[in-house]
Amino acid sequence: MTTLVLDNGAYTAKIGYSHDTVSVIPNCQFRSKTSRLKTFTANQLDEIKDPSGLFYILPFQKGYLVNWDVQRKVWDHLFGKEMYKVDFADTSIVITEPYFNFTSIQESMNEILFEEYQFQAALRINAGSLSAHRYFQENSTELCCVVVDSGFSFTHIVPYCRGKKMKDGICRINVGGKLLTNHLKEIISYRQLHVMDETHVINQVKEDVCYVSQHFYKDMEIAQLKGEENTVMRDYVLPDFSSIKKGFCKPLEEMSFSGKYKTGEQILRLTNERFAVPEMLFHPSDVGIQEMGIPEALVNSISNMPEEMKPHFFKNIVLTGGNTHFPGFRDRLYKDVRSLTPTDFQVSVVQPQNPICYAWEGGQLLAENPDFEEMVVTREDYEENGHFICEEKFDI
Amino acid sequence: MYCKRSAKYSPWMLHRYSLVRSQDPNQRRVLDSATRQRRLNRQLEALEKDNFQDDPHASLPPLIKRLPQFDENNESGKRRKKTRGDHFKQRFRKNFQTLLEEEDLSVSEGPNYLTACAEPSKFPQRHFCAVCGFPSNYTCVSCGARYCCVRCLGTHHETRCLKWTV
Ligand SMILES: Nc1ncnc2c1ncn2[C@@H]1O[C@H](COP(=O)(O)OP(=O)(O)O)[C@@H](O)[C@H]1O
Ligand SMILES: [Mg+2]
Ligand SMILES: [Zn+2]
Ligand SMILES: [Zn+2]
Repeated sequence: MTTLVLDNGAYTAKIGYSHDTVSVIPNCQFRSKTSRLKTFTANQLDEIKDPSGLFYILPFQKGYLVNWDVQRKVWDHLFGKEMYKVDFADTSIVITEPYFNFTSIQESMNEILFEEYQFQAALRINAGSLSAHRYFQENSTELCCVVVDSGFSFTHIVPYCRGKKMKDGICRINVGGKLLTNHLKEIISYRQLHVMDETHVINQVKEDVCYVSQHFYKDMEIAQLKGEENTVMRDYVLPDFSSIKKGFCKPLEEMSFSGKYKTGEQILRLTNERFAVPEMLFHPSDVGIQEMGIPEALVNSISNMPEEMKPHFFKNIVLTGGNTHFPGFRDRLYKDVRSLTPTDFQVSVVQPQNPICYAWEGGQLLAENPDFEEMVVTREDYEENGHFICEEKFDI
Repeated sequence: MYCKRSAKYSPWMLHRYSLVRSQDPNQRRVLDSATRQRRLNRQLEALEKDNFQDDPHASLPPLIKRLPQFDENNESGKRRKKTRGDHFKQRFRKNFQTLLEEEDLSVSEGPNYLTACAEPSKFPQRHFCAVCGFPSNYTCVSCGARYCCVRCLGTHHETRCLKWTV
């Protein structure tokens, strides 16, 4: 009997057997301008030599699974002989779903897992609950934590008390990595170079050069300076997918402040874009999304929790999801939460080693937990009781 | 492969700006608030898009199967027994908005997808130049966009302002 753990994100699937390691794989399909007949699935992305103008086919919309056709193509690929060679009759699956997942999506999930793939048993759970489990395993004396999960589609702030999700505190900010990449694409296209079709390339630019500012208006001033005083400015060399396979930042010592280079590469010059883009996570209203940013929403969420729990939440803030990788994210969140919180509360923000796979690691631990057998629904259970038993057992 | 835009930072822009300013400002059309809101909504919708370009397979002959594509004309004649496949096909068709409406959260009690959305911030709105992204102190009279200097206003008039149709 083996357990497959799948944190099924809208951008990447974090997948692996519980006795093994995790892989991060695109949870989507692609089409390229150069391969006119083929649709590429998941990690077949690596086969595309020239991913300029890469076209994405995503199973998720606004963080919810809507395109089952695409999702099943990806799963067939992951579960099949190319990758995990799942022996369904002898395998349990731990699979994640978003908070407040819609009923009909939950039912489709049951049907696909039990009727189509015929897994032996399944546990459907929120990724944040796995992260909380991971956190409490490592910090066994702590009573509460707040999971901040900032992924592709949105950001969630969710308080957990002794492993229990505090539903009244769940808060969603509709800003995720997708929005950041699209915004960066938009402003670069308006200001210097038309890159609206280059989601893949500009997403890489974002991950390579953007950071979260610690002193926003100060950085704005620096970014306006001329010459070497402008320590924010970077020149990014775009890939041409022949001699330059992957874009990169010009090393500072090679940077020419005139922006002219003898070598004929295509350059993007980035100044305030570097930190104004991730700033959307902290001030969504900067682009007209009238929602609180992460620090304010977090403090607001905890303010709705029982008084005696509050100090426990503030000292156990844990960061998960790809956006928390931005340099400066943790320090800025700490600083802002600190400034919004009475001084007699201790504030502590924990950035795990691998925030993208933290939930997966929680799933791995859970699969090894003695209570695991009690948490799953077996195919037998499902065949006997249908959706009802899943609704009873799973807390989505 | 990347195509260059030349709209900004050319001295030519400054020149064009003076032409704009020489007009009587009262003669510039002013967008009403409904139009401004529509414009903002369109910008926010654009930020949710998966792709801006067309599907590179869209121009291929129809013989090649495309995604998502559903066989819609197999209901003809005798009604077939509903198989699981059909059942799923129904669900495939539902986009986010349909699913959300189906959930009918207006009658549900307790926290749900809608109530979980972050409230508006209590901090004051910050303003940035629609052209260069630096902090801005001025508002375009015509469309309400923000700008930081004469030069950026010029670029704005030339490139977006009243030219951006909704
Ligand atoms: N090093 C990084 N810096 C900034 N953003 C990153 C980095 N790595 C991943 N991301 C972003 O994180 C998002 C995916 O995060 P993830 O938690 O895996 O999302 P999901 O679970 O929704 O699939 C993407 O938008 C990606 O661009
Ligand atoms: Mg995730
Ligand atoms: Zn400006
Ligand atoms: Zn205007």
